[in-house]
Amino acid sequence: MYGGGYIFEESKNGQTETDDVIKLENFEARIAAGEKIEPADWMPAEYRKQLIRMIEQHAHSEIIGALPEGTWITRAPGFRRKLALMAKVQDEVGHAQLLYSAAETLGKTREDMINDLITGKSKYSNVFNYPAVTWADTAIIAWLIDAGAIINQVANSKGSYGPYCRALERICVEESFHLKYGHDNVVFLATGTSKQREMVQEALTRWWPPIMHFFGPSDKISVHTETLMRWKVKMATNDDMRQKFLDMYVPKIWELGLVIPDPLLKKNTDSGIWEYTEPDWQEFKRVINGDGPCNQERLAVRRRAEEKGEWVRKALMRTEEKYTVPLS
Amino acid sequence: MKDLNEIQTTAVKDLLYRIADDQLILGHRNSEWTGLGPILEEDIAFSSMAQDKLGQSQALYQLLNQMGEKDPDTLAFTRSVDEYKCCHLVEYPIGEYDFSLMRHFLFDMSEAIRFNMLASSSFEPLAKISRKFKGEIKYHTMHAITWINQLGKGAGDSPVRIQKALDECFPLALGIFEPSDYEDILIENKIFFGEKELHEKWYDTVVPVLKNANLKIPEIKDPEISYGGRKGKHTEYLKPLIDEMTEVYRIDKDAEW
Amino acid sequence: MSDKNIKSINTINSIISIDPRVTREELSIVPDVDPIKDLHHWQTYEVFHQTKKGDRHLHVGSLHAPNPEMAVILAKEQFARRYKCVNLWVVSTGDVISTGYDNEDIFDTTPEKVYREAGGYKVMERINKFKKERKQST
Repeated sequence: MYGGGYIFEESKNGQTETDDVIKLENFEARIAAGEKIEPADWMPAEYRKQLIRMIEQHAHSEIIGALPEGTWITRAPGFRRKLALMAKVQDEVGHAQLLYSAAETLGKTREDMINDLITGKSKYSNVFNYPAVTWADTAIIAWLIDAGAIINQVANSKGSYGPYCRALERICVEESFHLKYGHDNVVFLATGTSKQREMVQEALTRWWPPIMHFFGPSDKISVHTETLMRWKVKMATNDDMRQKFLDMYVPKIWELGLVIPDPLLKKNTDSGIWEYTEPDWQEFKRVINGDGPCNQERLAVRRRAEEKGEWVRKALMRTEEKYTVPLS
Repeated sequence: MKDLNEIQTTAVKDLLYRIADDQLILGHRNSEWTGLGPILEEDIAFSSMAQDKLGQSQALYQLLNQMGEKDPDTLAFTRSVDEYKCCHLVEYPIGEYDFSLMRHFLFDMSEAIRFNMLASSSFEPLAKISRKFKGEIKYHTMHAITWINQLGKGAGDSPVRIQKALDECFPLALGIFEPSDYEDILIENKIFFGEKELHEKWYDTVVPVLKNANLKIPEIKDPEISYGGRKGKHTEYLKPLIDEMTEVYRIDKDAEW
Repeated sequence: MSDKNIKSINTINSIISIDPRVTREELSIVPDVDPIKDLHHWQTYEVFHQTKKGDRHLHVGSLHAPNPEMAVILAKEQFARRYKCVNLWVVSTGDVISTGYDNEDIFDTTPEKVYREAGGYKVMERINKFKKERKQST
């Protein structure tokens, strides 16, 4: 799971730094021709920096994303849901592993990345700073958040960096199970007993604002954004992805008789564009900067996991080793 | 072996409940580590094994269902605490990773031997399932042996921790082999070789591994200290576990989830 | 979400969470953990996966492990929990020797050597010319 092209930071100079004009031209020509960049290829420092940031934060989102649904693993009702939820959350951990490895190929160690996560320096997808209050919340998350993540991932899988594309290929296969499981779960709840219907409606109402925040605010059109798109690091605008999400999933939500808590939400039949109440971007900013319901808990859990695991890792460490960057 | 008579059926069902309940409860316990493991790669491995346990318990409840008991979800999620036949070892909280790994080692080694014995059971449906589990359990024991061996000889406080975990788990593990009321029936009819023989084979298998990992085998003063689980007498840990496990299921008993 | 009731309740010492596993951990909200030092997440191994006998082993990714024995055990679940597999290889990343992309040019002319490709041999025209000439001379 992942979310948001809003993760990119503005470059300090406003311009991208280049080390060598000819190398940059060749680099950009290769990308325009649809070729992939591999770890040992020459790349602009800015490209490396933004990719590390993006892939790292995607990895953090996966490992943190394991926590809201992980809340309900021990309480999943029945074998089928219990097994599926365990497998899904396990997949998130697996995705984190694949993504940290991809980011490592760019030269940042996994230890550094995890340190940045647990000290609050690195961000992760904002949506996971909210709690999964009931079982039905996990169903909504598994369906609609994973749906958003898939839209992001399918776009990014056509990007320019080889290791990231290869990781996303594996991830996309597993995500399709997550989506089906999530949808299946919501369908059972929405078409079930009145208690179940009430639970899933409340969950949807609760999660709709974070879902609308998922793709981030409308992109500022800047030279920086343009460069990132030319380099196929950023693959689509936030608005484009949000529109795609609404187009694919709002009808499916309405089909189940569920109410989306936005009276303005409708598809303009002339323009084909979905109209909606503008999400509260102040709240979004507040939460992503640390003041959400679960930010502290999420990081505290990761810190504890690292702490608890320290003796295990130290027990088997070989101190004479030198660090090697993974290959691909 | 053709159809079972009444007492044989009772004996087999008792055996199946014991095995399935162990796997359900331990699988549930081990799933508590998902997302919280000591390193990503091991988190993933441990979660797979927890899923395997749950899948195996489901298959055994399925067999019970075919023998006239209720369906797997009903058996797993609606019985009262004293109706479960799991041993005390699997009920304990996950503790630190040393405890969970040692429990995994001691328990899974017994499972491997148990299913190996059952693979040639005269009760064909059980023999068939046991043969099917062989590969999964083999990985579980490979995993466990590798970890115990490496941590037992590891750096830092690892050897001390692993020894302490062994001291705690070993007496609990003996509860796996608490004999049922039907040992003679199972043995005579070649359905199962019985807990006593399982215990002996288990001891002969785990002790060399533990010694090779530089561990001392704890002295057991009372081998029956952890008995009771097979007869429905459980530790204080089982009820909170069952309450938590069934929390959502119990919201609405008419619901399909 | 503006419902304040949903916030995790942070007491002075520990977090009470909706997740019972988290509550059991008795976590402090004060960030006082030492940074993880280098190599504490171990070294990396490259993983090769064979789907069935007869297939080649293919590189599928890398993982962190303390030694080769553990790398194989961990590779099984991270790289083969979903896919058909009969065999896995692991190789320490440091043991893989590469030609390097800065030497990519050593392969430049490789596709152009038609003298050793089947497609480099076309004699249809020559045969046809020969047949034509033979016919004319009779």
